[in-house]
Amino acid sequence: MSLEPAMKERITSIIGKSDVVLFMKGNRMMPQCGFSGRVVQILDGLLGEYDTVDVLADPEMRDGIKEFSSWPTIPQLYLKGEFVGGCDIITDLYNSGELHTMLGQKAPDRTVPNIEITPEAAARFREFLERSPDKALTLSIDARNQPSLGLAPPQGSEIVAESNGIKVLMDLGTAARAEGTRIDAVEQNGGVGFRVDVAPNAGAAAAPAGEVKQVTAGEVKKMLDDGEKFEFFDVRTPEEQEIAKIGARLLDEEATKYIETLAKDTPMVFHCHHGGRSQAAAEHFARLGFTDVRNMAGGINAWSAEVDPDVPRY
Amino acid sequence: MDISSQIKAAIENEIADAVVVVKPASHGHFEIDVTSQEFAGKSMVKQQQLVYGAIKDLMAGDSAPVHAVDRLRTKTP
Repeated sequence: MSLEPAMKERITSIIGKSDVVLFMKGNRMMPQCGFSGRVVQILDGLLGEYDTVDVLADPEMRDGIKEFSSWPTIPQLYLKGEFVGGCDIITDLYNSGELHTMLGQKAPDRTVPNIEITPEAAARFREFLERSPDKALTLSIDARNQPSLGLAPPQGSEIVAESNGIKVLMDLGTAARAEGTRIDAVEQNGGVGFRVDVAPNAGAAAAPAGEVKQVTAGEVKKMLDDGEKFEFFDVRTPEEQEIAKIGARLLDEEATKYIETLAKDTPMVFHCHHGGRSQAAAEHFARLGFTDVRNMAGGINAWSAEVDPDVPRY
Repeated sequence: MDISSQIKAAIENEIADAVVVVKPASHGHFEIDVTSQEFAGKSMVKQQQLVYGAIKDLMAGDSAPVHAVDRLRTKTP
Protein backbone atom coordinates (compact mmCIF):
# COMPACT_ATOMS: atom_id res chain seq x y z
CA MET A 1 0.00 0.00 0.00
CA SER A 2 1.39 3.38 -0.88
CA LEU A 3 0.09 6.89 -0.76
CA GLU A 4 -1.83 8.16 -3.81
CA PRO A 5 -0.19 11.30 -5.24
CA ALA A 6 -3.56 13.09 -5.10
CA MET A 7 -3.94 12.33 -1.38
CA LYS A 8 -0.37 13.37 -0.72
CA GLU A 9 -1.03 16.67 -2.44
CA ARG A 10 -4.23 17.19 -0.48
CA ILE A 11 -2.53 16.63 2.87
CA THR A 12 0.43 18.82 1.91
CA SER A 13 -2.01 21.59 1.02
CA ILE A 14 -3.98 21.21 4.29
CA ILE A 15 -0.91 21.36 6.52
CA GLY A 16 0.49 24.27 4.48
CA LYS A 17 -2.64 26.39 4.86
CA SER A 18 -2.57 26.80 8.62
CA ASP A 19 0.13 26.86 11.30
CA VAL A 20 -1.73 24.43 13.53
CA VAL A 21 -3.64 21.49 12.07
CA LEU A 22 -5.05 18.62 14.11
CA PHE A 23 -6.14 15.44 12.33
CA MET A 24 -8.68 13.96 14.73
CA LYS A 25 -11.81 11.87 15.16
CA GLY A 26 -14.77 14.25 15.27
CA ASN A 27 -14.35 17.98 15.67
CA ARG A 28 -13.50 20.50 18.38
CA MET A 29 -17.01 20.58 19.76
CA MET A 30 -17.63 16.87 19.58
CA PRO A 31 -14.47 14.78 19.68
CA GLN A 32 -15.45 11.18 18.95
CA CYS A 33 -12.58 9.55 20.81
CA GLY A 34 -10.91 10.14 24.16
CA PHE A 35 -7.43 10.68 22.72
CA SER A 36 -8.66 13.29 20.24
CA GLY A 37 -10.64 14.89 23.07
CA ARG A 38 -7.57 15.16 25.27
CA VAL A 39 -5.59 16.95 22.57
CA VAL A 40 -8.50 19.30 21.81
CA GLN A 41 -8.66 20.17 25.50
CA ILE A 42 -4.94 20.98 25.49
CA LEU A 43 -5.10 23.06 22.31
CA ASP A 44 -8.30 24.87 23.37
CA GLY A 45 -6.46 26.02 26.48
CA LEU A 46 -3.65 27.47 24.39
CA LEU A 47 -5.20 28.71 21.16
CA GLY A 48 -8.37 30.45 20.09
CA GLU A 49 -8.22 29.15 16.57
CA TYR A 50 -6.72 26.15 14.86
CA ASP A 51 -7.73 23.85 12.04
CA THR A 52 -9.07 20.36 12.52
CA VAL A 53 -9.65 17.59 9.99
CA ASP A 54 -12.24 14.96 10.90
CA VAL A 55 -10.86 11.65 9.63
CA LEU A 56 -14.11 9.85 10.46
CA ALA A 57 -15.84 11.88 7.77
CA ASP A 58 -13.27 10.76 5.21
CA PRO A 59 -11.99 7.15 5.30
CA GLU A 60 -9.39 7.86 2.60
CA MET A 61 -7.98 10.67 4.71
CA ARG A 62 -7.97 8.38 7.74
CA ASP A 63 -5.67 5.90 5.98
CA GLY A 64 -3.85 8.58 4.01
CA ILE A 65 -2.69 10.63 6.99
CA LYS A 66 -1.36 7.51 8.75
CA GLU A 67 0.68 6.70 5.67
CA PHE A 68 1.76 10.31 5.14
CA SER A 69 3.05 10.68 8.70
CA SER A 70 4.34 7.13 9.19
CA TRP A 71 2.22 7.20 12.31
CA PRO A 72 -0.43 4.56 13.01
CA THR A 73 -2.81 6.42 15.30
CA ILE A 74 -5.18 9.39 15.32
CA PRO A 75 -4.98 12.20 16.52
CA GLN A 76 -1.97 13.72 14.79
CA LEU A 77 -0.77 17.28 15.21
CA TYR A 78 1.05 19.33 12.59
CA LEU A 79 2.72 22.65 13.45
CA LYS A 80 3.93 24.80 10.56
CA GLY A 81 3.78 21.80 8.26
CA GLU A 82 5.86 19.58 10.57
CA PHE A 83 4.53 16.44 12.22
CA VAL A 84 4.66 16.80 16.01
CA GLY A 85 3.17 13.55 17.26
CA GLY A 86 0.12 11.85 18.70
CA CYS A 87 -1.72 12.16 21.98
CA ASP A 88 1.04 10.95 24.33
CA ILE A 89 3.73 13.12 22.76
CA ILE A 90 1.48 16.19 22.71
CA THR A 91 0.58 15.63 26.37
CA ASP A 92 4.28 15.38 27.27
CA LEU A 93 5.17 18.51 25.28
CA TYR A 94 2.30 20.36 26.93
CA ASN A 95 3.20 19.32 30.46
CA SER A 96 6.86 20.19 29.98
CA GLY A 97 5.97 23.60 28.54
CA GLU A 98 7.66 22.85 25.19
CA LEU A 99 4.35 23.07 23.33
CA HIS A 100 3.89 26.62 24.64
CA THR A 101 7.29 27.54 23.23
CA MET A 102 6.53 25.85 19.90
CA LEU A 103 3.33 27.91 19.67
CA GLY A 104 5.22 31.10 20.49
CA GLN A 105 3.70 31.50 23.95
CA LYS A 106 5.39 32.17 27.23
CA ALA A 107 6.49 29.25 29.36
CA PRO A 108 3.74 28.00 31.66
CA ASP A 109 3.60 28.12 35.41
CA ARG A 110 4.42 24.66 36.74
CA THR A 111 3.63 25.48 40.36
CA VAL A 112 2.55 22.37 42.26
CA PRO A 113 -0.92 23.00 43.69
CA ASN A 114 -1.77 22.31 47.33
CA ILE A 115 -4.32 19.53 47.53
CA GLU A 116 -5.68 17.57 50.45
CA ILE A 117 -6.26 13.83 50.52
CA THR A 118 -8.01 12.77 53.72
CA PRO A 119 -6.37 9.91 55.69
CA GLU A 120 -9.38 7.65 54.85
CA ALA A 121 -9.02 8.33 51.12
CA ALA A 122 -5.24 7.91 51.33
CA ALA A 123 -5.65 4.46 52.90
CA ARG A 124 -7.95 3.39 50.05
CA PHE A 125 -5.61 4.74 47.38
CA ARG A 126 -2.70 2.91 49.02
CA GLU A 127 -4.59 -0.39 48.62
CA PHE A 128 -5.26 0.30 44.93
CA LEU A 129 -1.68 1.31 44.26
CA GLU A 130 -0.28 -1.77 46.00
CA ARG A 131 -2.38 -3.92 43.68
CA SER A 132 -1.15 -2.06 40.58
CA PRO A 133 2.48 -1.20 41.28
CA ASP A 134 3.14 0.09 37.75
CA LYS A 135 0.34 2.64 37.97
CA ALA A 136 -0.09 5.99 39.64
CA LEU A 137 -3.07 7.97 40.86
CA THR A 138 -4.10 10.61 38.34
CA LEU A 139 -6.36 13.62 38.75
CA SER A 140 -7.90 15.52 35.89
CA ILE A 141 -9.96 18.70 36.22
CA ASP A 142 -11.38 19.93 32.94
CA ALA A 143 -12.04 23.50 31.88
CA ARG A 144 -15.52 23.26 33.41
CA ASN A 145 -13.94 22.29 36.75
CA GLN A 146 -15.27 18.72 36.44
CA PRO A 147 -12.83 16.43 38.25
CA SER A 148 -12.05 12.77 37.54
CA LEU A 149 -9.69 10.33 39.23
CA GLY A 150 -7.88 7.47 37.54
CA LEU A 151 -5.08 4.93 37.77
CA ALA A 152 -2.64 5.04 34.85
CA PRO A 153 1.00 4.37 34.08
CA PRO A 154 2.98 7.56 34.72
CA GLN A 155 4.21 9.37 31.60
CA GLY A 156 7.00 11.21 33.35
CA SER A 157 6.03 14.78 32.48
CA GLU A 158 3.13 15.24 34.87
CA ILE A 159 3.03 17.64 37.77
CA VAL A 160 3.08 15.70 41.03
CA ALA A 161 1.29 16.86 44.18
CA GLU A 162 1.41 14.91 47.43
CA SER A 163 -0.80 14.64 50.46
CA ASN A 164 -0.80 12.09 53.29
CA GLY A 165 1.89 10.09 51.52
CA ILE A 166 -0.10 9.71 48.29
CA LYS A 167 1.26 11.19 45.08
CA VAL A 168 -1.25 12.56 42.57
CA LEU A 169 -0.23 13.09 38.96
CA MET A 170 -1.88 15.78 36.88
CA ASP A 171 -1.37 17.66 33.66
CA LEU A 172 -0.56 21.33 33.46
CA GLY A 173 -4.15 22.47 32.94
CA THR A 174 -5.36 20.47 35.91
CA ALA A 175 -2.54 21.77 38.10
CA ALA A 176 -3.64 25.33 37.40
CA ARG A 177 -7.18 24.46 38.53
CA ALA A 178 -6.37 22.12 41.40
CA GLU A 179 -5.29 24.53 44.15
CA GLY A 180 -7.30 23.71 47.26
CA THR A 181 -8.86 20.52 45.90
CA ARG A 182 -9.93 18.06 48.59
CA ILE A 183 -10.30 14.31 48.01
CA ASP A 184 -12.26 12.29 50.55
CA ALA A 185 -13.54 8.70 50.79
CA VAL A 186 -17.33 8.35 50.91
CA GLU A 187 -19.85 5.53 51.26
CA GLN A 188 -21.42 4.85 47.89
CA ASN A 189 -24.03 2.17 47.18
CA GLY A 190 -22.64 0.01 49.95
CA GLY A 191 -19.05 0.36 48.68
CA VAL A 192 -16.46 3.05 49.08
CA GLY A 193 -16.11 5.78 46.50
CA PHE A 194 -14.31 9.07 46.38
CA ARG A 195 -15.51 12.60 46.48
CA VAL A 196 -13.44 15.32 44.82
CA ASP A 197 -14.19 18.90 45.80
CA VAL A 198 -12.59 21.40 43.49
CA ALA A 199 -12.13 24.75 45.20
CA PRO A 200 -14.38 27.26 43.43
CA ASN A 201 -12.62 29.82 41.24
CA ALA A 202 -9.30 28.27 42.15
CA GLY A 203 -7.83 28.25 38.68
CA ALA A 204 -7.06 31.50 36.94
CA ALA A 205 -6.86 29.36 33.80
CA ALA A 206 -10.36 27.95 34.21
CA ALA A 207 -12.61 29.14 31.42
CA PRO A 208 -15.67 30.99 32.61
CA ALA A 209 -18.58 28.60 32.52
CA GLY A 210 -20.78 29.85 29.73
CA GLU A 211 -24.42 30.31 30.43
CA VAL A 212 -26.79 28.16 28.37
CA LYS A 213 -30.52 28.69 28.61
CA GLN A 214 -32.95 25.81 28.15
CA VAL A 215 -35.88 26.14 25.77
CA THR A 216 -38.64 23.63 25.06
CA ALA A 217 -39.47 22.30 21.61
CA GLY A 218 -42.77 24.21 21.81
CA GLU A 219 -40.98 27.49 22.51
CA VAL A 220 -38.67 26.96 19.54
CA LYS A 221 -41.69 26.22 17.31
CA LYS A 222 -43.24 29.49 18.45
CA MET A 223 -39.99 31.39 17.75
CA LEU A 224 -40.00 29.97 14.22
CA ASP A 225 -43.70 30.73 13.69
CA ASP A 226 -43.27 34.29 14.96
CA GLY A 227 -40.44 34.81 12.51
CA GLU A 228 -38.06 35.58 15.36
CA LYS A 229 -34.48 36.10 14.20
CA PHE A 230 -32.13 33.41 15.51
CA GLU A 231 -29.62 30.85 14.27
CA PHE A 232 -30.79 27.25 14.56
CA PHE A 233 -28.27 24.40 14.55
CA ASP A 234 -28.55 20.62 14.47
CA VAL A 235 -25.69 18.93 16.32
CA ARG A 236 -26.49 15.39 15.10
CA THR A 237 -24.77 13.41 12.34
CA PRO A 238 -25.81 13.76 8.66
CA GLU A 239 -27.18 10.19 8.88
CA GLU A 240 -29.52 11.15 11.72
CA GLN A 241 -30.60 14.24 9.84
CA GLU A 242 -31.68 12.03 6.96
CA ILE A 243 -34.02 10.14 9.30
CA ALA A 244 -35.66 13.22 10.78
CA LYS A 245 -35.13 16.96 10.56
CA ILE A 246 -36.81 20.18 11.61
CA GLY A 247 -35.04 22.76 9.48
CA ALA A 248 -31.97 23.44 11.60
CA ARG A 249 -28.61 23.75 9.91
CA LEU A 250 -26.22 20.83 10.37
CA LEU A 251 -23.35 21.91 12.62
CA ASP A 252 -20.47 20.87 10.37
CA GLU A 253 -17.06 22.51 9.92
CA GLU A 254 -18.53 25.08 7.57
CA ALA A 255 -21.31 26.03 9.97
CA THR A 256 -18.75 26.34 12.76
CA LYS A 257 -16.69 28.76 10.70
CA TYR A 258 -19.90 30.67 9.95
CA ILE A 259 -20.70 31.00 13.67
CA GLU A 260 -17.25 32.45 14.28
CA THR A 261 -18.19 35.34 11.95
CA LEU A 262 -21.41 36.16 13.86
CA ALA A 263 -21.84 38.94 16.41
CA LYS A 264 -21.42 37.62 19.94
CA ASP A 265 -24.99 38.57 20.90
CA THR A 266 -26.58 36.63 18.03
CA PRO A 267 -29.35 34.41 19.42
CA MET A 268 -28.53 30.73 18.77
CA VAL A 269 -30.50 27.55 19.44
CA PHE A 270 -28.95 24.10 19.33
CA HIS A 271 -30.73 20.77 19.14
CA CYS A 272 -29.74 17.12 18.81
CA HIS A 273 -31.57 13.84 19.43
CA HIS A 274 -32.22 14.09 23.17
CA GLY A 275 -30.48 17.30 24.23
CA GLY A 276 -27.10 16.07 25.52
CA ARG A 277 -24.87 16.70 22.52
CA SER A 278 -26.51 20.06 21.82
CA GLN A 279 -25.96 21.10 25.45
CA ALA A 280 -22.23 20.37 25.04
CA ALA A 281 -22.11 22.32 21.75
CA ALA A 282 -24.06 25.21 23.27
CA GLU A 283 -21.65 25.34 26.23
CA HIS A 284 -18.73 25.37 23.81
CA PHE A 285 -20.04 28.49 22.08
CA ALA A 286 -21.00 30.13 25.37
CA ARG A 287 -17.39 29.68 26.45
CA LEU A 288 -16.26 31.36 23.23
CA GLY A 289 -18.13 34.44 24.40
CA PHE A 290 -21.58 34.09 22.79
CA THR A 291 -24.13 35.57 25.15
CA ASP A 292 -27.48 34.28 23.88
CA VAL A 293 -27.06 30.53 23.59
CA ARG A 294 -29.99 28.16 24.06
CA ASN A 295 -30.33 24.40 24.15
CA MET A 296 -33.54 22.75 23.00
CA ALA A 297 -34.30 20.46 25.92
CA GLY A 298 -35.26 16.91 24.93
CA GLY A 299 -34.00 17.36 21.38
CA ILE A 300 -35.84 16.37 18.22
CA ASN A 301 -37.39 13.54 20.20
CA ALA A 302 -39.31 16.09 22.28
CA TRP A 303 -40.27 17.90 19.06
CA SER A 304 -41.87 14.69 17.73
CA ALA A 305 -43.67 14.18 21.03
CA GLU A 306 -44.84 17.74 21.70
CA VAL A 307 -44.90 19.68 18.44
CA ASP A 308 -45.15 17.52 15.36
CA PRO A 309 -45.79 13.74 15.49
CA ASP A 310 -45.03 13.56 11.74
CA VAL A 311 -41.33 13.99 12.50
CA PRO A 312 -40.11 10.38 12.75
CA ARG A 313 -38.78 9.16 16.09
CA TYR A 314 -35.81 6.88 16.12
CA MET B 1 5.16 -17.00 10.63
CA ASP B 2 3.38 -15.64 13.70
CA ILE B 3 2.61 -11.95 13.93
CA SER B 4 5.41 -11.16 16.41
CA SER B 5 7.95 -12.65 13.98
CA GLN B 6 6.41 -10.72 11.09
CA ILE B 7 6.78 -7.47 13.03
CA LYS B 8 10.40 -8.32 13.88
CA ALA B 9 11.21 -9.23 10.27
CA ALA B 10 9.57 -6.10 8.86
CA ILE B 11 11.55 -3.82 11.19
CA GLU B 12 14.84 -5.64 10.57
CA ASN B 13 14.19 -5.37 6.85
CA GLU B 14 13.82 -1.59 7.05
CA ILE B 15 16.42 -0.75 9.71
CA ALA B 16 19.59 -2.63 8.92
CA ASP B 17 21.23 -3.10 12.33
CA ALA B 18 18.03 -3.19 14.40
CA VAL B 19 17.83 -5.44 17.44
CA VAL B 20 14.11 -6.03 17.85
CA VAL B 21 12.18 -7.48 20.77
CA VAL B 22 8.44 -7.96 20.26
CA LYS B 23 6.18 -8.89 23.14
CA PRO B 24 2.52 -9.71 22.45
CA ALA B 25 0.22 -7.93 24.92
CA SER B 26 -3.52 -8.51 24.49
CA HIS B 27 -5.00 -9.78 21.21
CA GLY B 28 -3.63 -7.75 18.31
CA HIS B 29 -1.70 -5.51 20.72
CA PHE B 30 2.09 -5.55 20.97
CA GLU B 31 4.98 -4.00 22.84
CA ILE B 32 8.08 -3.35 20.76
CA ASP B 33 11.67 -2.50 21.72
CA VAL B 34 14.10 -1.53 18.98
CA THR B 35 17.79 -0.75 19.38
CA SER B 36 19.68 0.67 16.42
CA GLN B 37 22.54 3.00 15.52
CA GLU B 38 20.13 4.53 12.94
CA PHE B 39 18.36 6.39 15.77
CA ALA B 40 21.45 8.42 16.71
CA GLY B 41 20.82 12.16 16.43
CA LYS B 42 17.11 11.71 15.61
CA SER B 43 14.22 13.02 17.70
CA MET B 44 12.00 10.54 19.54
CA VAL B 45 9.22 11.14 17.02
CA LYS B 46 11.54 10.56 14.04
CA GLN B 47 12.81 7.34 15.66
CA GLN B 48 9.28 6.07 16.18
CA GLN B 49 8.25 7.11 12.66
CA LEU B 50 11.04 4.90 11.29
CA VAL B 51 9.61 1.91 13.14
CA TYR B 52 5.96 2.65 12.34
CA GLY B 53 6.91 3.16 8.69
CA ALA B 54 8.47 -0.31 8.65
CA ILE B 55 5.36 -2.06 9.98
CA LYS B 56 2.69 0.08 8.30
CA ASP B 57 1.46 -2.78 6.10
CA LEU B 58 0.82 -4.89 9.21
CA MET B 59 -1.25 -2.06 10.70
CA ALA B 60 -3.25 -1.02 7.63
CA GLY B 61 -6.97 -1.59 7.25
CA ASP B 62 -9.72 -2.66 9.60
CA SER B 63 -8.65 -6.32 9.81
CA ALA B 64 -4.96 -5.56 10.28
CA PRO B 65 -3.00 -8.21 12.22
CA VAL B 66 -1.57 -5.46 14.43
CA HIS B 67 -4.35 -3.36 15.99
CA ALA B 68 -2.16 -1.29 18.21
CA VAL B 69 1.33 -0.87 19.57
CA ASP B 70 0.79 -0.41 23.29
CA ARG B 71 4.37 0.63 23.90
CA LEU B 72 7.20 1.42 21.50
CA ARG B 73 10.67 2.02 22.88
CA THR B 74 13.54 3.05 20.65
CA LYS B 75 17.14 3.48 21.70
CA THR B 76 20.69 3.50 20.42
CA PRO B 77 23.07 0.68 21.38
